[in-house]
Amino acid sequence: MTAVDPGDALAGLAEPVAPAPEPEPPARDLTPRQWVRTNLAASPADLALTVVFGLIAAYAAYRLLRWVFVTTDWEIVRVNLRQFMIGPFPSDQLWRPWASGYVLAAALGLAGGVLVGRPAPGGEGAGGDAEADGRAGAGAGLRGLAERFWPLGLGAVVVLSFTRTPLPTLLTVGLVAVFLAFRLLGARALGALRRFVWLIVAVGVLAALQVIVAGPGGVGWDDWGGLHLAVAATVAGIVLAFPLGVVLALGRRSSLPAVRLVSTCYIEAFRAVPLVALLFMGRYMVGFLFPTTVDPPSQLVRAVIAITLFEAAYVAEIVRGGLQAVPAGQIEAAHAVGLSQTQALRLVVLPQALRAVIPAMVGQFISLFKDTSLLSIVNFVELLTVAERATEQSAFRGQGLQAVVLAFAGFLYWVGCSTMARESRRLERRLGVGER
Amino acid sequence: MRQEREAMSEMTEEPTSGPAGGDATPDPAAPATAPAVTGEPIIVCEGVEKWFGKFQALRGVDLTVGRQEVVVVIGPSGSGKSTFIRCINRLEPHDRGRIVVDGTELTNDLRNIAEVRREVGMVFQQFNLFPHLTVLENVTLGPRKVRRWPKARAEKVAMEMLERVRIPEQARKYPGQLSGGQQQRVAIARALAMQPKIMLFDEPTSALDPEMIAEVLDVMRELGRSGMTMIVVTHEMGFAREVADRVVFMADGEIVEAGTPEHFFRDPTEERTRLFLSQIL
Repeated sequence: MTAVDPGDALAGLAEPVAPAPEPEPPARDLTPRQWVRTNLAASPADLALTVVFGLIAAYAAYRLLRWVFVTTDWEIVRVNLRQFMIGPFPSDQLWRPWASGYVLAAALGLAGGVLVGRPAPGGEGAGGDAEADGRAGAGAGLRGLAERFWPLGLGAVVVLSFTRTPLPTLLTVGLVAVFLAFRLLGARALGALRRFVWLIVAVGVLAALQVIVAGPGGVGWDDWGGLHLAVAATVAGIVLAFPLGVVLALGRRSSLPAVRLVSTCYIEAFRAVPLVALLFMGRYMVGFLFPTTVDPPSQLVRAVIAITLFEAAYVAEIVRGGLQAVPAGQIEAAHAVGLSQTQALRLVVLPQALRAVIPAMVGQFISLFKDTSLLSIVNFVELLTVAERATEQSAFRGQGLQAVVLAFAGFLYWVGCSTMARESRRLERRLGVGER
Repeated sequence: MRQEREAMSEMTEEPTSGPAGGDATPDPAAPATAPAVTGEPIIVCEGVEKWFGKFQALRGVDLTVGRQEVVVVIGPSGSGKSTFIRCINRLEPHDRGRIVVDGTELTNDLRNIAEVRREVGMVFQQFNLFPHLTVLENVTLGPRKVRRWPKARAEKVAMEMLERVRIPEQARKYPGQLSGGQQQRVAIARALAMQPKIMLFDEPTSALDPEMIAEVLDVMRELGRSGMTMIVVTHEMGFAREVADRVVFMADGEIVEAGTPEHFFRDPTEERTRLFLSQIL
């Protein structure tokens, strides 16, 4: 070790002698009165528009709130809540999803804490968001988490309000507590674990799957359903399709003609086929490809493979757009410092390409989340199927309750989509997309 | 300053006073096309040719650069100057001829290319800093990933280099937060951090606002005086006159004339050189 720790030396250097106070920019704060004048009533026409649209909005809000809180009887959701959450999963095996949830919460919490413990990239650029995270565990950290995940929290509150026993609420609170506890643990125990983050997540996910699927007296994959299925299929699709898509995008730009040809053919072929067709093929054709002595993969595995193959083609084209946006000078500079082809790609080109395509990529994944409703076509009991079947139960048939169950299913989709969208915007901010 | 350097190089070259050593003192009377090599040769180019499609960018370039020599390459745009120095670290593969850098011949052998790139730093007209990395990360990337230095050592060397180019206080910023002149100095530090034996400069000041050119040239001047072997493609004639050991004039993909700055700017032999100089001076 040298006498001077370079980090310390840097810290000293990064902050020059206290600068002279700079002139403040003119204040932009408006009094409420001024705000109304500029934004709502700048001219008589403006005022008229404000009044008209204000009335329309108020009326719509009134009708909506009245419908939600007064007119509608949510009994159908209350009765079918378990179906909405996990579909036909055997009810005597409910401990399995909960246990897997706890394993996942612990793994993700730990990983999140370890990642947060890392000094935020970009000092000033990354801004206060990262700083707030740095104080995770303190009150500010909790408030930050609440602000960040309020759609998720709202979703949990709404769902739990439909439960009839306090047990699910207690278990959910416990789940959040485990997540936060492990997050704190990860943030405190940083350093040592940082390079194993992905291992933690992978082990956690596998352990969770093990709990759900196998375990003693396990439950098959094919009984998955409801929101649980939608989330699982989406996550599996993202995790598998993303690396495959990146490889395909690189393959399409490869200097080797054979690789280029294969990648291009793959992408064009799978983009030309509807996802529904792929799901059908998975369900009805894969069985024929296996010899009778071997059990073909389960239906859920086939569906996930179909989703992965389909999404990878789209991800590949999105990534290719990002790769094209990286100037050739970057690769030359990487070579000039001595980086090999692979290093240049991994350290210089891909980080820039992927960060440029975050918005498009998340858009793709959001649409994947909604596309999981297509799984109903291959006989999975996903959210919309649950909704439809609920209205056919003898207690609820013929009462025009479609709007009620669809509203609830739509709300669950909204929770998932808005969480993804918010996380993506946050990631963009942290990585400084559009700033540099 | 130049005398000092020559004295220094003579001292170091004494045991190997070969045929090249004899030319150590540039003789103004020597024919212009016979390059006056200072010290033992570190870059040898023989008959280098390069095509872009049907267009021949280099038509047989011969140039030998000695250790610690500063060679400035000038010439009209499109004359092949940039292409030529980009061949020296194989950013462009040459099609014919031979390029030997510090004893390693550039061929398709990836190991040779990697070897040469480790020893040759390059500074580009457009800086080409990595925008997703901080200044410090830009400078440490090569040493850590190519030289495999531990982080602490790489950062220590990087800070030394940033001090050398006089912007250590910017280490934690991103390239986009710096001015052009500062970015180019970071680019120089990034190349120097690999501790190269040779530095190539491809029009390093051409993309800079006038008030920033001086700060970059200052750094380059000091670098030349410290004994770095440099090949500089530039339009800065003042820099050429002051720092160069040898000026090479290229036109239409070949070296038209080479000689000391005194010879070059006072009485160039070739008509094309005179024409070019009269246009830019």
